Amino acid sequence: MTNPDVVVIGGGIIGCCCAYYLAKQRLKVAIVEKGSICSEASKSCQGHLFLWELPAINIKLAKASKKLYEQLYNELDIDFELRNTGSMSIAEKPQDLETLQQTLNELRQAGVECQMLSAKEFIKTEPNVTRDISGGASFPEDGQLNPLLTTIALTQAVKKLGADIRHFTEVTGIELSADKSSIVAVETTKGKIGTKYVINAAGAWSGQIGRMVGINIPVVPRRGNLIVTEQVPDNIINCQIIIASGYLDSLKRENKTAVAANVQQTREGNLLLGSSREFAGFDKNVNPEVISLIVKRCIRFFPVLADLHTIRSWAGLRPYSPDMLPIISSSPIEGFYVASGHEGVGITMGPITGKLITQLITKQQLDLPVDQLSVERFAEKQ
Amino acid sequence: MKNLKKISKQKQRTYEGESDLNIENADMIICRCQEVTLKDIVQAIAEDATTVNEIKRRTRAGMGLCQGRSCSRLVRKILAEHTGQKFAKVIPGTFRPPVRPIALSTLASLEEDTDDKS
Repeated sequence: MTNPDVVVIGGGIIGCCCAYYLAKQRLKVAIVEKGSICSEASKSCQGHLFLWELPAINIKLAKASKKLYEQLYNELDIDFELRNTGSMSIAEKPQDLETLQQTLNELRQAGVECQMLSAKEFIKTEPNVTRDISGGASFPEDGQLNPLLTTIALTQAVKKLGADIRHFTEVTGIELSADKSSIVAVETTKGKIGTKYVINAAGAWSGQIGRMVGINIPVVPRRGNLIVTEQVPDNIINCQIIIASGYLDSLKRENKTAVAANVQQTREGNLLLGSSREFAGFDKNVNPEVISLIVKRCIRFFPVLADLHTIRSWAGLRPYSPDMLPIISSSPIEGFYVASGHEGVGITMGPITGKLITQLITKQQLDLPVDQLSVERFAEKQ
Repeated sequence: MKNLKKISKQKQRTYEGESDLNIENADMIICRCQEVTLKDIVQAIAEDATTVNEIKRRTRAGMGLCQGRSCSRLVRKILAEHTGQKFAKVIPGTFRPPVRPIALSTLASLEEDTDDKS
């Protein structure tokens, strides 16, 4: 087999999006994945296209990414269940309503379409919500997709474009040139792959890949638990994505274990109940206390959920970046690029990440400036 | 003990042997919960799925109410036959709690139960 131009490390949404846009530029791509395609964070999430995570740069990335998903929906062969669902946020107490109002003011400045709702308006849209709420907001731009099918659709497309997908192949080292300035090869459990370019899209494991070339990537795993219910009719919730106040707070890093009610319905009818953020190393076991708390919070807002059945729960490891911004970046080593640290918005930002990385490698004009997202912001000061 | 070993060997053999999981029965339902047919599963294998979990992600086989308790072994057998692997070598799907469906209200009261015991 001839050597690829680019080795993408990681077969999750980020790696597959990078591979797709690179392959479309006629670069020969190999995806190297330690497990199967879409077997970590990308398969453990709700598939929410979340367009209102501040700061403004995140919102720009998310908006651009959603447009790309709309194009992908026409380009790819598999229907990956992309839907314009919008989302709604519940304000539990009067002070939550105030906080939400302030957030909305900031979001509007960042260009997010959003609207405050009174408790009465909220209940009219969602008759199953508890009467004990203070109000809420709606975000009509949010969307949803099936992350499993999206990743699979991308891998099928890249294969058609001539890419090589090597699953169950773990990267064990990266060989650099004698002066350590550029890439020579990627060493794996199934042999060495000569290449000039490497993209580190290894998610929660990207710090380990960084260490192989001496680049500090302080991305650590942040666990999320989810609960899925049996398939239910589509009138339990009307807007398919409903998030209670406390969600944005739960993202803050000072929270060691944070839980927020987040109810979403997939196109197949299952409800996905989330969400949580925990620093628990690489442990992927579900935390029974956390899932119990999530369910309790969800029932608090939707009492009708109490009688539904859960069929499964799981946990996944989001790649947490210490400043809550993703890394979409070249690096001091020629040919070594980083696409990681997206935490909860990896699905949302997949396509724009893949496109920007491709533009960096092929030296084309960037769709958005990425200076703020450089890995060099974490360089250890000498 | 010896008998048990013998039985388990025999059982293993039945899963290694010839079957009617061939393309003539393409419309045979394999996962009843999600109505996934043999054809769907064979197609997923043709598209590079090599494990039960990968087939599940593509086809939803095993994602339903029973969580693969009915179809998981069948899916393994189809995988074994179509990829030329031994049945025992095909990695089974992952089982996750609660394994059997339980009411969300029960799950919500988990915490209180633990409190009572302490």
